[in-house]
This record gives sequence, structure tokens and C-alpha cells, in this order.
Amino acid sequence: MSKETPVLVAKKREKLGTRYSRRLRAAGQLPCNLYGHGSAPVAISVEEHATLYALKHGAHVLALKFDDGSTDTVLVKDLQFGFLGDNVIHMDLARVNLDEVVTVKVHLSFIGTPEAAKKPGAIVTHDMPEIEVTCKVRDIPEEIKTDLSHMEGEMLTVGQLKMPAGVTAASDANAAVIRVQFMKEEAAAGEAAAPAAGAAPEVLTAKKEEGADAKK
Amino acid sequence: MSNLIPKRVKYRKQQRGKMKGNATRGNYVAFGDYGLQSLEVCWVSGRQLEAGRIAAQHFLRRQGKVFIRVFPDKPISKKPLETRMGTGKADVDFWAARIKPGTVLFEIAGVPEDLAKQAFARIANKMPVRCRFVGRRLAV
Repeated sequence: MSKETPVLVAKKREKLGTRYSRRLRAAGQLPCNLYGHGSAPVAISVEEHATLYALKHGAHVLALKFDDGSTDTVLVKDLQFGFLGDNVIHMDLARVNLDEVVTVKVHLSFIGTPEAAKKPGAIVTHDMPEIEVTCKVRDIPEEIKTDLSHMEGEMLTVGQLKMPAGVTAASDANAAVIRVQFMKEEAAAGEAAAPAAGAAPEVLTAKKEEGADAKK
Repeated sequence: MSNLIPKRVKYRKQQRGKMKGNATRGNYVAFGDYGLQSLEVCWVSGRQLEAGRIAAQHFLRRQGKVFIRVFPDKPISKKPLETRMGTGKADVDFWAARIKPGTVLFEIAGVPEDLAKQAFARIANKMPVRCRFVGRRLAV
């Protein structure tokens, strides 16, 4: 949390269910569920625009301010997506302390071009756009920046990433984050492996039919 | 032009089936940086997918990587022209992928956004459905 925690105005939801959630969304609110720390789960709603703005800028921790003046620090645990799979329609929030250790996904951002990618036919593929990290809630970074200009070889693994202080990677250390691939060889291999036009696939049940015909 | 077909199948022919609702799987960008998402229901043939791939790769000139997110695994049979009805189900004409609104058809990795948009516009011209450009969705 290099910047200040975004503060959102939250309202308790009295009426629950699809119909009322849809009305809330139409009114620019985002339905959420708040749970954790032994307290009973609460159905709330927050302002959609401000929430999405915060999430798009890498916020994981939000400060909720209720009508009655009470506040809560929460961690975004899950997002539910709606029609076409990219609009957020619901959010799960967990109450947290700033000194609690949690595992979250953090966006990776890259600067520069690897040396290997300057060769002809090379492309850089991002195998892991987000990385799972374990850290205290107060230490959750908005993003992890990596300079690719010093990258050695054709692959950057999780173990080679420079993590901010207090943050450790929870993903497999040998997993590839960035790979430099050469398209010319790959395209040639793909064309050779593709079946010829007009070829028919093998039918697994074809033999049984022949056996049944012979019995008749 | 090579065609996309399965290597082996359990049965030679299938019934047509119905495609109701929206895609609940394969409806977000998973491998590349940007994607082309279908907004309608249709069958996309292997030939159409291949035409789209070629259009994108020719435009990108090996700069980026193109992923095809759907596979034509449904055999579509068609009776020949001027044939009388009956005498059983016709031979397989082509293989198709079932596409629902929200299905991500193609993805591209390793190119800037404007270049990806132009490549997807070329692919969309080869597709039998309306499509839209999408990026990666929020992750927490």
C-alpha cells in the first residue's frame, strides 16, 4: 500500500436477492458481502465507479465508511463477473488487520526489452500477468515492476523477480513469467502438424459397428 | 489450406443441439494480452478459424503470438444438392465450434494494443458473428 487506502462509502443492504441487486447496479452501486474476523456476514453496497477505479489502480485493501460512522478495513477476496465475463457484478470483502499476513494476486508490470527479444522473429509472451504473493496487508504492493533490459537468457522465472521489502512470492519459483519465443520455427512446426484438408478423424466406435454387422 | 478437425472422435455424426444462454466458460482472456470476443451465437467452421488466423498472422508479420481459443469438434452433416429427402443422415460437410455470446475466439500476445486491435478487425471480418475487442479482466 504505497498510496493511501481508498475510502468508500458503504450502505447496508436491507433487501437481498437478484431483483434488488439489479436495482442497486442500475443505481450505480455494487453489491458486496462483508465477512471475517468472527463477526456475522453483512450484505452491503458500495459506489461502483469509485470501487472499480480503485481496483483498476491496483488497490487490494479498501476502507469502508458506513452511514452510522463506523469504519472497517477490508481486503477484496473475490470478484464476480457478469454477462460477457468482464463487468464486475459482485464483490466479496474480508475484514482484515493491517498486520495480518495474507496471500493475494498482484499485477506485474514490465519495463524495457530483453536482449534476446531484439533478435529477428522474437516475441515476448507474458505467461504470468499476475503473481501470488504473501505479505502483511499493509505491505501489499499495487504492482510489481520489473526491468527486462537486464534479463538473461530467454526466460524469466518467479524466483528471478525482485520483490519489494516484506513481500514473498507464493507461486512456484521455477514458473515462467516472461518468455522470449521465436515465431518462425513455431509456425513451421504448426503447419506440419496440422491435418490435411479433407482428412477424416478416426472413429472410436467404428470397429464395434463392423462386428455387429458380421453377427447379423 | 490446412483445416482444423479432431484426430479421433467417438461417433461419426452428431445431432444439431441447441445453444442457449451466454458462455460461462472460455469467456475471458486467459493466455494472451488481448482477445476477440463473440457477441452472438453461431457455429464457426474450422475453415473460418483458419482464415482468421492467417489474416492476423499475415498482418502481424510474425510480431505477435496468435492463440485460437476454440476448436471445431462438432461434425456438421449436409445433404448434397438436388437430393431427395430420406435415406439416412448425410455425410459430414464440415467441423464447427459452438460459439455463444461471450466466447473468446482468438487471443494475441506480444504486440501493442493498437496493433492487436487492427489484427482483430481483420479476424472479425472472417467471422460469421459480431465480435468485440477485450483486454484482460481485473484480478485480485
